[in-house]
Amino acid sequence: MIKHLNLAWQRIRRSPYQAISAISIMTMSLFLAGFFVILAMGSNLVLKYFETRPQINGFFQIDLTPSSDQVNLITSHLTNTGLVESVRYISKEDALKIYKDLNQNDPLLTEAVTANLLPASVEISAKNPRDLKQLADILKKEPGIEDVRFAEDVVGTLNRWISSIRTTGAVLVGIHIFITFTVILLVVGIKVSGRRDEISLLQLVGATPAYISAPFIFEGIIYGVLGAVLAWGISYLVILYSTGFWAGFLSGIVTLPPSPTSMISLLGGLVGLGTLVGGFGGAMAVYRFLKG
Amino acid sequence: MVTAKNLTKKFGSILALQDLTLEIPTGEFVFLTGPSGSGKTTLLRLIYRDLKPDSGTIQVDNQEVSKLPGSKLPSLRRTIGVVFQDFKLLSDRNVWENVSLPLEVRGIPPAKIRSAAKVALELVGLTPRSSMFPSQLSGGELQRVALARAIVGRPRLLLADEPTGNLDPKTGKNIVKLLKDIHSELKTTVIMATHNADIVNSFSQRVISLDEGRISKDSPKGKYD
Repeated sequence: MIKHLNLAWQRIRRSPYQAISAISIMTMSLFLAGFFVILAMGSNLVLKYFETRPQINGFFQIDLTPSSDQVNLITSHLTNTGLVESVRYISKEDALKIYKDLNQNDPLLTEAVTANLLPASVEISAKNPRDLKQLADILKKEPGIEDVRFAEDVVGTLNRWISSIRTTGAVLVGIHIFITFTVILLVVGIKVSGRRDEISLLQLVGATPAYISAPFIFEGIIYGVLGAVLAWGISYLVILYSTGFWAGFLSGIVTLPPSPTSMISLLGGLVGLGTLVGGFGGAMAVYRFLKG
Repeated sequence: MVTAKNLTKKFGSILALQDLTLEIPTGEFVFLTGPSGSGKTTLLRLIYRDLKPDSGTIQVDNQEVSKLPGSKLPSLRRTIGVVFQDFKLLSDRNVWENVSLPLEVRGIPPAKIRSAAKVALELVGLTPRSSMFPSQLSGGELQRVALARAIVGRPRLLLADEPTGNLDPKTGKNIVKLLKDIHSELKTTVIMATHNADIVNSFSQRVISLDEGRISKDSPKGKYD
């Protein structure tokens, strides 16, 4: 195996321009694949974040401290619809605590605020985002409720966006991988063609197809691995460079930069994909010749 | 060793071999003679299964080679050594590497390859040239390298297709002497295609003459006609 690997490396070095074109296209395709994987993973985290947020907030009148009976009544009205996942009561004191947690870095905003200045509220999560409006309408009619706010099907919209991103990514990456495969087929095919006499001689002295194919398959794999490592390196640099930009509005939703484990998994995935495309391209190039 | 029955091979409308039947026993040295286009090379190519006959059968060591599946071809070819007029050496490998090639493809351990290649190179008298590349050798030396490569795996059958065609008469004779030595020492069956009358007449061996794809003469201790 080492012998075949050395031979493949030697052949790559002897035709640097072909190697550069093969590695470049491989890098581009795998970078695109990596980009869409990161995008899909990031948008999944955003989706999960929104899925775990309460979807409807009903605020009581500011001067009202609702009794537990009142809260239980509202809760039962809502849960009886069968559309509710959970209902949580936030007292004035709870609201103050949340407010202080959110503004802990700004003492000016927290010093002057007391529990009496904040309304008590109920937080509701629906089983299905489609029912948010119906639940909000019920909540608005409850006595003591002054204001109702709900996110209009944010999760559904986000889901559709993510689904579109995935489909677009899969199609784009698929097309690029196909182009890469044909380039590898072409580059290795040229090498195979140039070694026509050598291959005939190897067949003549009793070499098996596997023995003849091995260096060409390894050549494709080397293109794949080098392309994957380069694509991964570029992706990592882009992520590190843009972390400051993204961190501003993804704070609390996505941890940036991604953990080393995630990035190593991405490298593994890209190397696997590159190896598969390169190896298969190399194998097909030599198989076409041997079959002929 | 080699048995052909009613062998016919066509290339388009040209009949290269017509209903050819012959038998070459194990351990024999045979000259295959005839003018260009008489079918000598076609017969050799059928023996090492570079071609398939259109009809008839051809057996090597009681094995019907024309019906061999592709997966069995490597094992057939490991039992046959072939020498060509144009040597067919790999220009980017030195003499030693060229000679080692048939053993290397079989996955034989390096130590065994070393000893076998050493013996083969000694036999053809090229040990001092082992690190040289084909471009640094003369025609006779190139053919000796090809011969060493053909015998390094100790084949039971050695096919030589016009091995003296590119050589001067003296070097050509030396190559045939070498083939004779290999035949005697290793007990290898040798079939040598040639249209060099001088060489055929110098060695009193069985001569099978071909003409337009048919055997025109088969003499046990023949001369070139």
